[in-house]
Amino acid sequence: MRDKVMGTNQVMRQVIYALVLGVAAQVVFFGFSVLVQIALAIVTALSAEALVLRMRGIQITPSLCDGSAVLTAVLLAIAIPSIAPWWIIVLGVLFAIVFGKQLFGGLGNNPFNPAMLGYAFLLVSYPLQMTQWPSEFQGVLSIFELSAVDALTGATNLDYTKTQLMLGESIGALTFENISQMWINLGFLVGGIYLLLRRIVFWHIPLSLVLGLVLMSGVLYLIDPSSYSSPAFHLINGATMLAAFFIATDPVSASTTPLGRLIYGFSIGVIIIVIRVFGGYPDAVAFAVLLMNITVPLIDYYTQPKVFGK
Amino acid sequence: MLESWRVSKFTFKGGLVLENPFPAKEIDLIRIPLPDKVVLPMQQRIGEQAKPCVSVGEHVLTGQVIATIDDDRCAPVHASISGTVVAIDNQVMAHQSGLKALCVTIESDGEDEWIDNSVACTENYDFCTPDTIYNKIRLSGIVGMGGAGFPTHTKVQFAEGCHTLIVNATECEPGIMCDDALMQAYPTKVIRGVEVLLHICGAEKAIIAIEDDKKESIKLLKKFCKNERITIEAIPTKYTSGAEKILVKSLLGIEIPSGGYASDVGVLCQNVGTLVAIFDAVVENRPLISRVVTVTGSAIKEPKNLQVRLGASYDYVLGFADIDPGENDIRMAGMMMGVDLKGTDYSISKNTNCIFVNKPIEKAAAQECIRCGMCNTVCPMELLPQQLYWYSKSSNIEKALDYNLLDCIECGCCSHVCPSNIPLVDYYQFAKALNRQQTKEKVQTDNARERFEFREFRLERNKQERAEMMEAKKKALKEKMAKDKVQKEAIAAAQERVNAAKTAKELEDAR
Repeated sequence: MRDKVMGTNQVMRQVIYALVLGVAAQVVFFGFSVLVQIALAIVTALSAEALVLRMRGIQITPSLCDGSAVLTAVLLAIAIPSIAPWWIIVLGVLFAIVFGKQLFGGLGNNPFNPAMLGYAFLLVSYPLQMTQWPSEFQGVLSIFELSAVDALTGATNLDYTKTQLMLGESIGALTFENISQMWINLGFLVGGIYLLLRRIVFWHIPLSLVLGLVLMSGVLYLIDPSSYSSPAFHLINGATMLAAFFIATDPVSASTTPLGRLIYGFSIGVIIIVIRVFGGYPDAVAFAVLLMNITVPLIDYYTQPKVFGK
Repeated sequence: MLESWRVSKFTFKGGLVLENPFPAKEIDLIRIPLPDKVVLPMQQRIGEQAKPCVSVGEHVLTGQVIATIDDDRCAPVHASISGTVVAIDNQVMAHQSGLKALCVTIESDGEDEWIDNSVACTENYDFCTPDTIYNKIRLSGIVGMGGAGFPTHTKVQFAEGCHTLIVNATECEPGIMCDDALMQAYPTKVIRGVEVLLHICGAEKAIIAIEDDKKESIKLLKKFCKNERITIEAIPTKYTSGAEKILVKSLLGIEIPSGGYASDVGVLCQNVGTLVAIFDAVVENRPLISRVVTVTGSAIKEPKNLQVRLGASYDYVLGFADIDPGENDIRMAGMMMGVDLKGTDYSISKNTNCIFVNKPIEKAAAQECIRCGMCNTVCPMELLPQQLYWYSKSSNIEKALDYNLLDCIECGCCSHVCPSNIPLVDYYQFAKALNRQQTKEKVQTDNARERFEFREFRLERNKQERAEMMEAKKKALKEKMAKDKVQKEAIAAAQERVNAAKTAKELEDAR
């Protein structure tokens, strides 16, 4: 099993395949708008990549075919609300590919996760469009602003919890009718396990991320169950599973030593909870990942494994 | 069934389980006829070379010394056929660089007439002093037959006082079968070679390590080994098991310190081919004039193991293999660590263990490193190849050294698994060369700086010394002047007194 299993292009393709279940769950709950967003994202990503490669004087086809731009596009498309207007995803992907990836030298040279850089850019620039999620089972094509958006939106559980807590409610008094998040997270979990079994992703980051998230939320929950959500709630809400298996595991911007991966994943898990609970944003994957991206060179340097004979 | 699930105790971290890409139906040792001409390089290894002691036109016998040594970092060379020396000149070596080195060319007379090399020490090596046998090995031109080509006598000398002799019969790379063929052909020679070496190196025990896929060799050696100081261990067939450091670790559990050698931990490692050569030299009075070469590859119908006289040309040797016609790629030594050669204009040297003849394949283009980390799971030295690549590529040698560049054994496991097809080892070799150059330059600038600083120091010291001297002189002068003054005053006072007395006397006289 240690022999060469697949090339870089195949790795990227496998990761995209592994997203299918989670995306399917999104389609079930939010309708085909999800697929429209993905299509828009892919077209934008490939065009932007081709344009920059041409400007940089690099052969276009091999880089376009490596699948990395498509993967970034898909990840960003499924991270944003499916009813966001079309220019949101286009701007986000443009930012991710041009500023997040190509300006640093293309695949392999980007210190930040391009998809999360695009997401953070969108979140701070267009907070309104980025936090309006559709109500379940109300898939529509509001992407092209053909219908009134307001009537269709609903809050995610994380968002709802945050608002209610601010209003002075206790967690125990809240009722969650929103089951879409759970199913989507389950979809990504299954896809993630597939990646682990195919040895495309090492276990270190997913496991330590979940551990960090559960420990941090668990401690808070034990302190005061009425103001802090349970670890289980955090596991099945927001982008937890997507982050654990597909986003934090981007090898280019993640730590590369075995111990480093554990520290990196664990810290992301902890930061996700800290921002979700104490920060201004309902979900926190993008910021947690970007923050830890910065620390990667340091983590790598200080977590070098013991070398033979030293 | 259960047996196959049992994890061998002789395994190690990293490495690759690689199958022989071109398995042979039968592992026979085929002795090929004498070549018409041999080209014998004076250089067995990068660095020192032996000095020819024959001249053009001279007739030499098989086994006759044709080049001597005055440095223990190389080994003497013997004529591998009898005939006439026709040239002593520079020829292209089987190396990527295509560099030339001094070679002696002999044309065969077809007789294969041997020189009488026999000395007292023959069958009964037990009665010889270790020194006698050591000298015999030294004069027989034996070098490491596994590929490194390091002079055996020097290695034995380094390992003085060792406790264990490890015989490397792992056949370090998939595809190479020459050790297997040798063991199957001469199992008793192997065992007796080990006994000879045990006798002179002083080790208490010897371990013959064979990869467990060579069942026939293991069976034969076990059958012929009657010496309880020698054990035969089957180790898992996993690439880099034959690397010296890994072998010592997996057999004895001893980790050779970074930058050290097996001799540092009291172990002597020798390739099994070397032991047969030792047996031939000590017991049969035959210096090293032939070796086994595996000829294999995708362009060859049936891989063969050929016993070849040293110096035979690649073309001559390949003539005994069934090769597909057309353009083929030639590679010397293994598929992992070997070197790609241009053409076949080379000759078999003491460390040519294998020749690959492959149908040309298009190499996949290298892509960017995505730091996936596959490489560090297979690195037997437990390095971080992805980090080494990053710093080697940017010529950041200092950082690469921080990540233990110098511990890399260039086994090629990382390049083999890289999903982006990056020739990682090439980058490390480049970085190592750059480091050597920088170290050299640093030594030079350090020396220059030291010289300069000493000169400054010397000038300053001279100046100071001169100043001190001046100061002392001045002081002495001053003191002298002060002394003079006192004296003068004393004289003046005396004069005064005399004058006064005189005046008084005159006054009295006048009265």
